[in-house]
Amino acid sequence: MSLAAEAFVSQMAAAEPWPENATLYQPLKEDQILLSDSASSFAVQAYLRMCGLPVQVVCRANAEYMSPSGKIPFIHVGNQVVSELGPIVQFSKAKGHSLSDGLDDVQRAEMKAYMELVNNMLLTAELFVQWCDETTVSQITRCRYGKPYSWPLNLILAYQKQWEVRRKMNAIGWGGKTVEQVYEDVSQCCQALSQRLGTQPFFFGKHPTELDALVFGHLFTILTTQLTNTELMDRVKSYSNLLSFCRRIEQTYFDSKDS
Amino acid sequence: MAAPDELFCWEGDWGLPSVSTDCLVVLAYAQFAGAPLKVRKICNPWRSPSGSLPAFRTSQKETLSRTSDIIIHLRKQKFNADYDLSAKEGADSLAFISLMEEKLRPALIYAFWIEPKNYVDVTRRWFAEHMPFPLNFFLPGRMQSQQLEKLRLLQGDERLEAGEELEKELFRDATECMDLLSQRLGSQKFFFGDSPSSLDAYVFGHLAPILRCKLPNGKLQQHLRSLDNLTNFCSNILLLYFPRDGRDGCSQKSPPQPEAGDFDNVPNKRRKQLLSALVALGAMLSYALLTGIVSIQHIQQEALEEPPDPEDIRSHEEEGDG
Repeated sequence: MSLAAEAFVSQMAAAEPWPENATLYQPLKEDQILLSDSASSFAVQAYLRMCGLPVQVVCRANAEYMSPSGKIPFIHVGNQVVSELGPIVQFSKAKGHSLSDGLDDVQRAEMKAYMELVNNMLLTAELFVQWCDETTVSQITRCRYGKPYSWPLNLILAYQKQWEVRRKMNAIGWGGKTVEQVYEDVSQCCQALSQRLGTQPFFFGKHPTELDALVFGHLFTILTTQLTNTELMDRVKSYSNLLSFCRRIEQTYFDSKDS
Repeated sequence: MAAPDELFCWEGDWGLPSVSTDCLVVLAYAQFAGAPLKVRKICNPWRSPSGSLPAFRTSQKETLSRTSDIIIHLRKQKFNADYDLSAKEGADSLAFISLMEEKLRPALIYAFWIEPKNYVDVTRRWFAEHMPFPLNFFLPGRMQSQQLEKLRLLQGDERLEAGEELEKELFRDATECMDLLSQRLGSQKFFFGDSPSSLDAYVFGHLAPILRCKLPNGKLQQHLRSLDNLTNFCSNILLLYFPRDGRDGCSQKSPPQPEAGDFDNVPNKRRKQLLSALVALGAMLSYALLTGIVSIQHIQQEALEEPPDPEDIRSHEEEGDG
């Protein structure tokens, strides 16, 4: 979001409290949503539940196109639409709900750095596996992405998106990597997260922050999504404290409130 | 004994061993880990084994281009600057490196390659002056389009253009990142104690060009200068690990601007202009004399008292020509 737009949104946000009818939009859960989008969506849902803010999840086939920035998920609150975790955190902060107020400067720096680590490594790895690994693309991604559309639109859109993601991978230097190397990177990232978490219940002590929401979103999705092989899932499973972390958050924030 | 590994990197300037961030990261890491590298500073990316710089040729003739791959290779050769780090410090390294890649790198690309004044006055000029003929005509332009493409893909916006709003957004992220790095560094000499690690190499590689290169639009430099601990950190590394390059930079300040700032920096401009004018005048005069358009007459003393006859003059001319 541009600076001016952000300032405007913050001002508008501060004016009203969080309404009861806030909705979160994402693609269809059963047959359309992809790994990376599902991870981002769970991250936002976890964050909002941690803040105690009520939100309804609505699945729409064209969620990607409704979103103001083109990314999933986005929330519709009052008369504003905000997408992606970063802006949503700012938005809820403007309304007076924040999870990271209790952190000091050094901890906040670490939190931001680890969030970037997850975005840089885990999210990119998810995108790579789902769009640049031929087996996954042909067996899973292409038919899921184009599910709501008829032939030939489903193929055209899928190829277009694949081409776009491939260009991005080349730009950031991941173009020449093999899937094995990407799995290694995921392991490295999980190891770093596992080290940081240690034996604490959350990353910064006893209370969750947006970093916990983000990590939960990604790890939970990897652990529960069926891909062509279980390599990715196994790599994450080898870190037991991360597994119990995901389970704990799922039980605390999702099971009790789910209908 | 196998041949040592070779590193091809961009030349240096402004007191730095190299002008490119990636090259600086690899050079710094090699110095920290004590790796014996044969460094070849070139200005022609087509001469590098991979077509781009930095390029690392191992003793087994394999070529690596990504900085992370090069550092992993050096670690495998037992040149590990992160040996003393605890597991948590290693994790923090990874996190802060990601932070810099996401927040600081786009602003660097913008400041050096996309911002119009900076690109025309500094970046393009530097590359055009240092590259060999005929690459200097088209390669800087091509590099700029590549960097713009990269920035567009990083930001996820296909229609990104240089502009004030984009600049504000990128620089805001970059200043926030620099503040976070400054907070993490605190008053320590290096990020993890007394000996430098790979995170120090990455931070140095990103911040040194901002600190040393004098850009017309220098907002990033201003902000960096206000963070004393980061400024001292960079200067410290230059002093300790790159003394030769640092000294050259200090003795040679940014080239003195001529009075007319827009003029190209051609030496002895006035003298050359005067010489060219004289040569042209001489050529024209000799042509005129030789073809008879102008002639020099020797007028006798008596003839000066009366106005000369036009016929007399014509006959004198004929005599003169003959």
